[in-house]
Formats: sequence, structure tokens, C-alpha cells
Amino acid sequence: MQIADHMHKVSKLEQLRARLDPLSDFELWFWAAMMGGTHAVNAALHHAGVTLAVDAYATQPGVYLVRQSDGELAPAFAALGDVLHVGRPVIDAPVPPDVSRMMHAMERIEAHRDPCVRQGHPPTQQIVDTCEQALGECLALLNRRLSE
Amino acid sequence: MQPQEHEAAAQRIENSLRKCRPDDHEITIEGAMLAGSHRLNAHLHRIGASQPGDDVLHTYLLVVNELRRLTVADPLAVPALSAIEDLRPAFVRGAQPGGQEAAQRALALLEVIRASARAR
Repeated sequence: MQIADHMHKVSKLEQLRARLDPLSDFELWFWAAMMGGTHAVNAALHHAGVTLAVDAYATQPGVYLVRQSDGELAPAFAALGDVLHVGRPVIDAPVPPDVSRMMHAMERIEAHRDPCVRQGHPPTQQIVDTCEQALGECLALLNRRLSE
Repeated sequence: MQPQEHEAAAQRIENSLRKCRPDDHEITIEGAMLAGSHRLNAHLHRIGASQPGDDVLHTYLLVVNELRRLTVADPLAVPALSAIEDLRPAFVRGAQPGGQEAAQRALALLEVIRASARAR
């Protein structure tokens, strides 16, 4: 996607997170944080010229929904645009240090995905705080990059 | 997770989905997928088609033969979960117009999954 589209998604997801209770709504609160952070990373990667900002939507590594001449979307192989998650796919190119820090922050969030969302591990305030701090760092780094 | 644990997780997510607004279509689709996968896993465990600890995370990550086997076990819920997952690229990760309608479809598909578990 284009950077502006990623930023719009980040804004929407942050507004939603503010309406959710981090513990009683943990699954969606967490998922919104993960999605928002991933959009932020994609925006930063595009801004740094590491990945392409194109109107193609990721389905799996290497395959994107691409708009056809008739306006419909169809899957096709394409160069690296948006990543699905940090590390999926692995980026085989130099990444600026600030974007690398954003990606490490997202890894700290994603470490709680399967245990807490899929495997029944009860979320704790410490996990909430870890995710909040990591996403805050990720978004602050993006804002700094975009404002420079 | 045991079936009742999957069901409790699905119920929590469904409760949280009620706090979402129509334009929160991205998280509505994702929440329907998460709740639907917990509902499906609970059902598959209960009927003995899969064991606790052997959960479906995404239907598209299943080996084709396993996808076919589980579709025999629950011919309504497995395709419904796949259909929710298919909404993700365009409307969750992407900016395709029609997100609110897609979110309503995801919720309807979640109800198909819930109903399939209740019917058996």
C-alpha cells in the first residue's frame, strides 16, 4: 500500500485500541496493536526505499492481490511490497537502524501472539505494558522518520 | 486448549467485537477469524476430528489432505473460516473499498461456524 494508506490504518487501529480494555478485550486489543505496528513498519520500509509502496495487497510471501485493467483484484507474483509480519518474508536488503529498531519492537509484541491469543495463556498487566511500550516505541520511531 | 477453553476464548472475542464500530472493519474481520478458529477447533476436538494441541491456526496453512479431511468433519465451518480468511488481503491488509460490507460478511460467516457447532 501507499504510506498514507498505512498511516490511515494505524490511526484507525489506535482509536479502536483506546476503546478496548487491555485485559478483558486482550485478544482484539493485542491484535489491533500488532496490525497497527505492522502497518507502521511497512510505512517506514517504504519511506526508506527498502520495499515498494504499491497498490498491491499481500496474500502470502511473494504473492499479492494486484488490480487488473478491469478494476478487479487478482493474485500475482510481485516484488516485495508490504510484509505480512515482521520476518514474513525476511527482508534480504539493508534496513536503516531506526526501522530495524521498529522491527525489533514488533518482535517483542508478536512473541505474545500465539501464547496469549491461540494457546490460552492468560494475559497479564506486565504483558500489556510490554506491548504498549513496544508499540509506542515503534510509532514514535515512525513519526520521527516521517517528520524529518 | 480444551474445547471449553476454545469456546471461552471465542466468547471473549465475540464480546469485544460488540465494541467495534462499522468502520472498524479490519479488526471485525480479524476478530471473526480468531473467534471462528476457536469455535472450529472446539468443535473438531469435541467430535474427535482433532486433538487438543493440534489446532487449526489458518485453513490455508493446512496440508491439502488435512484440509479435505477436516472439511468432511465439518463441511460448513471449515469453508466458512476459509472465506473469512480470504477477506484479509483486500480489506484488512489492503485498502480495497467495501470494507464495511466485508466485515458484515465476516460476521455472518462466523455465525455459520457457530451454528454448525450447535447443530451437531
